[in-house]
Amino acid sequence: MKTLRLTLAHNAGPLAALAIFILMFAIYIAFHPAGLSSAVVTTATNKAVLLALVAMAQTLPVLTGGIDMSVGVIFVLTNCLASRLVVGTMPEALLGILAVLVAGSLAGLVNGLIVVAGRLQPMITTLASGAVFAGIALWIRPSPGGDVQSDIADFATGTLFDTIPVGLLLLAAVVLAVWVPFRRSEYGRAALAIGSNENAAYVSGVPTRQAKMLVYVLSGLLAAIGGILLTCNTYSGEASATVAGAYTLNSIAAVVIGGTSLAGGWGTAIGSVFGAFILRTIEDLLFVFDLPPLWQPLFQGAVLLLAISVGAIRVFRVKNRLEIFQ
Amino acid sequence: MQLKYAVSALALVMSLGLSASAFAAGPKVVSGPAADPVCFKPWNADTKYFQFPKKDGPYRIALANGFVGNTWRIQMIQTAKAYAAQPDVAAQIKEFKVVSTGEDIAAQIAAVDNFINSGFDAIIVNAQNPAAFKPVIKRANAKGVVLVAFDNTLDTDEAINVNVDQKALGKLWTQWVVDNVPEKSGKILEVRGVSGTSVDRDRHEGVLETVKNAGGKFEVVEVQGNWDEGTTQKVVADAVAVHKSFVGVSTQGGSAGVVRALADSGHPYIPIGGETENGFRKLCATHAGEGLKCLSAGTGPAQVAVAMKTALAALAGNVVPQSIALPLSEVHDPDFKDKENFYSDQSDNFFVGNSFPTCGINFSAQEIMGQTKQDQ
Repeated sequence: MKTLRLTLAHNAGPLAALAIFILMFAIYIAFHPAGLSSAVVTTATNKAVLLALVAMAQTLPVLTGGIDMSVGVIFVLTNCLASRLVVGTMPEALLGILAVLVAGSLAGLVNGLIVVAGRLQPMITTLASGAVFAGIALWIRPSPGGDVQSDIADFATGTLFDTIPVGLLLLAAVVLAVWVPFRRSEYGRAALAIGSNENAAYVSGVPTRQAKMLVYVLSGLLAAIGGILLTCNTYSGEASATVAGAYTLNSIAAVVIGGTSLAGGWGTAIGSVFGAFILRTIEDLLFVFDLPPLWQPLFQGAVLLLAISVGAIRVFRVKNRLEIFQ
Repeated sequence: MQLKYAVSALALVMSLGLSASAFAAGPKVVSGPAADPVCFKPWNADTKYFQFPKKDGPYRIALANGFVGNTWRIQMIQTAKAYAAQPDVAAQIKEFKVVSTGEDIAAQIAAVDNFINSGFDAIIVNAQNPAAFKPVIKRANAKGVVLVAFDNTLDTDEAINVNVDQKALGKLWTQWVVDNVPEKSGKILEVRGVSGTSVDRDRHEGVLETVKNAGGKFEVVEVQGNWDEGTTQKVVADAVAVHKSFVGVSTQGGSAGVVRALADSGHPYIPIGGETENGFRKLCATHAGEGLKCLSAGTGPAQVAVAMKTALAALAGNVVPQSIALPLSEVHDPDFKDKENFYSDQSDNFFVGNSFPTCGINFSAQEIMGQTKQDQ
């Protein structure tokens, strides 16, 4: 009983995000002209999974007290790369996917090296590296275009047995294959320790440098998975700075809504997934409620503010309330 | 290691079963001409023609816009609603819905998918990215939904595109200047747009071709106005200072800036071919008696109405070209009339090229601005 209560208290942020998401999605489905159908859910999934992956990528550096302003750019860069490499026969395309994942991880590695070895602030580092990645993306894909292996793309954006969107399964697979092992490893604990108090972690013999490096590499990898799925969604690549910027900012919002502390040391990538789902559902609500187009940003902002306020539920969990006012 | 697992997991899931994707026919490719060949002008001789299965009205039509946030897009949405509200159009439409999704291409694709899922009959798109709609076109054709792109069209021959013939526009402006210079010689000032865009390139080609074919001894002086009134006014003033005398101006935009620069520098009024800003037509009407001979032509935000008309025609089972050359909305001296083709009480930035007579489409400013910003 006590364990259950502790588990609930520990996961209040992600659970609150999940509850809000379920509520909002229920409203969306209730008002959707087509109701609950696999097509409607698949459409929502294909859009939401992209942001969910970028938000997961953002969570990892945030846990260590850092931030990654280049996740959106790596997402766009790998989209451009995938529109060149994930083509041809099935084996060629699968090899292309592997190459894109490696490229994304390499981009993350560059960030990690600069942050760890160069000892620069993560925000400035990733802003600068993001500009470089954006340049590479433009060089790869100067104007929108390209292609993708259509069997893979149709599969990744389709439904399995006409019921379950494949995108959701892929997302679950990524959580199980990347996030869970990381969180349970020594480096996962180290990442949280760094976010809480880096000096204390270092003098306690926690492998802080390796953990930070791994965090940025995995962040690049997750963003690359998102980039490949974007390619599957659009059958093309586009080096769009506005898309990159929008995903970076939305990923930070998703992380906060998911109950992760921007100060580091507390949170989970699963919460960010629900945070991303909430953000996407806000957009979807615009579809079912006929709001004036010029009022839509106002509506989105108001709902976002509400969601972030609920994310601040951790206020009630702090041992010493004075800490909040510091 | 984890990477390897992820890839092998992916391969495993894929081998479990690719869901059968439906490849329904989509529109029938037929031979021309179109049902209404004057309005639905084919892009070129190779353009193919579509015939969708005839559906009984009234229809559910959607507009999936991407970026919103400049006057052009806002006026476009207002015009779309005004068109849907015109009595003969309203009779054919059961529901007209507008969604703007911003710059995120995935969101726009999802919006179009949502309209397809909700059983809309036709979807009008101002595409955020010309290359990204291949999967959506496939899904729309599978469900028999008519997809029409305008303004930012699609790289495809599987959906209907309503294109602006930018080169023809460049020709039209310049032909007006050439026709109004009886001595057939002198310097023509060409005010170009944002460099590097296909629009600027195509319009420029039209200008050069017209001057070449006009014979005579014309010389073209190019300046870059970036479709912006302030920039245009400055570069025209500079050009007048350097070259002293021009016989005519062909401008891609910021047209009012040309008139102001001429007036400020004391240059006599000369024939001008320009865009469809309200401010330009105001000046043209005011100074018409002083030798200012204007032609104002373009394809403003009202082109959305042509796209909607095309969708309605396709739904009714009529033959339409896959790629349509949009008619140009044009007024020239001495036909400028207040409250009719320009509005002295409206903002200078309002686009007044809202009439496409060959398509039977016309709007007053009141009709457009009077639309509530509420979606219906």
